[in-house]
Amino acid sequence: MLRRRELLAYLVGAGTAGTILVGPYTLRLVAGEIYMPGRAIPVAPVVLLPILWGIWNLIWARRHPHVSIGVWGSLFGFLGASGINAYLALAGIWFPAAVLLVAFLPVVYWLLWRLVIGPLNEALGVEGDRS
Amino acid sequence: MRTLGLIRRGTPTRPHDLWTRLHARLHEADDVVRVSLPALGWREAVALGTALGIVALVPDPLGFLVASGIL
Repeated sequence: MLRRRELLAYLVGAGTAGTILVGPYTLRLVAGEIYMPGRAIPVAPVVLLPILWGIWNLIWARRHPHVSIGVWGSLFGFLGASGINAYLALAGIWFPAAVLLVAFLPVVYWLLWRLVIGPLNEALGVEGDRS
Repeated sequence: MRTLGLIRRGTPTRPHDLWTRLHARLHEADDVVRVSLPALGWREAVALGTALGIVALVPDPLGFLVASGIL
């Protein structure tokens, strides 16, 4: 059974990621042409990001983990960075600097979840009774 | 005729203000959402500095982000 609060949580996560993705997509087109002309850009499944963000926020609303929303987001970033590294390795296009993602993505996600998802969750009543 | 008059008087008049009531209900449900951002402090500054520092550390920042699949 899906509660209203959980559905709202999904929509907050998916909507935020979907909106933010406009930036990376635009930059990707430009940067791909400049930095990797004629080469195939690794296709990370970024199109799945809104769905994954939505599900992660839904789990937050349902499970009430005893961590802050920022830490919850950074944990997701860590899993994402590890997944990207695994994907690059499996695809045979891994490079040493990719390890930095494991530090970079959690920090960026901490900021985004603390400054965007958290306030939206609170404003729309997703947080509910967290006692 | 007298009976009919009694019936008419006994039946409550149909509300003619449904549209007004609907408007009022919609207005009630459409309340203002107040989004309050947390105060920006040293933790946010450190996080932003770390993220920018990592990107600056890489010799080819955009290439790094593109090749990583973030962009």
